[in-house]
Amino acid sequence: MFSIPVFLQAFEPLIWAARYTLLISGLGIALGLVIGTLICAARLSPYAALRGFAAVWVSFLRGVPLLVQLLVFYYTLPVIGIDVPAIVAAVVTVGICASAYISEIWRGAIAALPKGQAEAAAAIGMAPHHIWGRVILPQAVTMSLPALINELILLVKASSLVSVVGILEITRASQAQAATTFRPLEVYIAAACIYLAINLCLSALGRYLEHRTAI
Amino acid sequence: MDFGILQQYGPMLLRGFGNTVLCWALGTIFAMALGLLIALVQRYAARWVRWIIQAYIEIIRGTPFLVQLFVLYYGGPLIGLRLDAVPAGLLGLTIYGSPYFAEIFRSGFRAVPVGQIEAARAIGMAELTIVRRILLPLGLVSALPALVNFSIILTKETVILSIITVPELMYQVQRMSTETFRYLEANLVLALFFWALVETISRLGRRLERRITRHLLTERT
Amino acid sequence: MQASQVEIRKVNKFYGPFQALKNVDLTIPPGKVTCLIGPSGSGKSTLLRCINFLEEYDAGEVRIDGQLIGYDAPGRKMSGRKLREMRRSIGMVFQQFNLWPHMTALENVAEGLIRVRGLSKRDAQARAEDALRKVGLGDKMANHPSRLSGGQQQRVAIARAIAMEPRLMLFDEPTSALDPELVGEVLTVMKTLAAEGMTMVVVTHEMGFAAHVADQVAFMDAGELIAAGDPASILHQPQDARIQSFLRTYHERNSF
Repeated sequence: MFSIPVFLQAFEPLIWAARYTLLISGLGIALGLVIGTLICAARLSPYAALRGFAAVWVSFLRGVPLLVQLLVFYYTLPVIGIDVPAIVAAVVTVGICASAYISEIWRGAIAALPKGQAEAAAAIGMAPHHIWGRVILPQAVTMSLPALINELILLVKASSLVSVVGILEITRASQAQAATTFRPLEVYIAAACIYLAINLCLSALGRYLEHRTAI
Repeated sequence: MDFGILQQYGPMLLRGFGNTVLCWALGTIFAMALGLLIALVQRYAARWVRWIIQAYIEIIRGTPFLVQLFVLYYGGPLIGLRLDAVPAGLLGLTIYGSPYFAEIFRSGFRAVPVGQIEAARAIGMAELTIVRRILLPLGLVSALPALVNFSIILTKETVILSIITVPELMYQVQRMSTETFRYLEANLVLALFFWALVETISRLGRRLERRITRHLLTERT
Repeated sequence: MQASQVEIRKVNKFYGPFQALKNVDLTIPPGKVTCLIGPSGSGKSTLLRCINFLEEYDAGEVRIDGQLIGYDAPGRKMSGRKLREMRRSIGMVFQQFNLWPHMTALENVAEGLIRVRGLSKRDAQARAEDALRKVGLGDKMANHPSRLSGGQQQRVAIARAIAMEPRLMLFDEPTSALDPELVGEVLTVMKTLAAEGMTMVVVTHEMGFAAHVADQVAFMDAGELIAAGDPASILHQPQDARIQSFLRTYHERNSF
């Protein structure tokens, strides 16, 4: 049956492994935000070529499962002669994948803003960069916060997949633990608990931010 | 790309694809059914039941799908749950998808204007009938886009089943690549395949949505 | 204050195959109030929005103080910068107020002064305070729009427009989104502006305002300007059957 001592003992190595989970999801979302903003700008640009490229970018990265993306990237690197540690490859893959979703989050928020907001600014003769910087973006970013926290939670869960390329984050560490203790049930449930703890904190953060930025 | 390989592994890949479709279809249906049940129970049950359900939803949504599968497939035997890979995968998909579908149905029910429920109560309709004749039809229409959307997301989650040795498409592709040593090409083609699949289903899904909601929506905004 | 005049000549606008404005000719005299009335879909808002080129007219001319707006020459669109320059002297008040919710009332009014007129934050705020006091909201300057009633929000919107010292004010159904008891406070502010000699073009359903405050009333139906003249002749002795029918429906709905 379920052994409590084994369950509790499993936590220490897994929490130690959690630093990789947090690193990958943290850097992943940071990268995703930077690239996602550029992609969103491209999606909204007047140049058809940029719009087309960004549309394909979003479509591809949202259509291909992350696990497949990880393997493609992992096998591509030796072929083009780049030698980076697996963790860098993982962060870049996760970040690029996230950028597609973040771009759509931005786009949705900008589209949800009533047209009248920009019109009122245009009617008093405000220049486009002011209309974007003072009226549209501040509201869009605030509106997007819940969706962005949600995306971060998704990334924390997605980081479990980088276990397949050998990175010793929570899931991989738990697989190793299960192999040595022969008690997979307790070990994997312990892993689940750690993920849950991280994500509950993020949800609470999300609710706090929503509350603070309510207009 | 060497097409001889395709010929040789064709049947194996086709079987894998068949398993992907099977797992996805059954998993989605079961998850939706469970999700609907959860949403209905949440609406009408006592506070402590709602609390348990909320905990279930938080736990499943707060943990990775892969870890859930490990608990079921590798951890299960320790409490007497000995499942083969495919049944474990189906159970995993059902459990994983149910809270998301439950939330979608809940939103759908909330979107039904309270006035329409009140009108039904005012003429003395029984609660069960109200659910059957008003809440469900209207709620489902509201929920349809999100239901389609999440079903599409589930197609991508099926590849994770390969890690617990469910012989779906990705599993077969990995087998093929270890035998032919063509890891990059195999996975690249797999990526392109999924891209085409998801893009196509998304478009069909949108067209289906438009067709259904056009006839069922009586309110013109 | 120098008040602008507007010349609208043979303006046409199409939305695809649908013609929203059909050869409209109208003069907006300086320092006077012109009310545009008519049934929904008649094109009154569209015409109003053509004046500051928020809607782009396809044919004809709209001239403000003699200068064409929206186009340098027929067929050649004006540059963004020139358009913005012209809009600085035009104020617009929208049906949905369109206040920026993430800024306080004071910040809403000062924003244009800072970003468009280039005033320092202190000068902008001082002028904004004057404008807000003028519309009777001196005590609500630090409030966000969500803490203001509809009538108060619309008055902030008017303050935002007049702080820019426009020579022409456009009002697009300014009271249509307000609860009846809040309409009065907005009309009062508009009457004050009129008395000061501002050129105003007002799209409205408030016939009382049109009858008592307007110098010119223009009736539109289905994209055409049917008649324009002083309130007495349009509202009390209408010649055209369409105006008669419109007013009859209005009286049936509003008298009790």
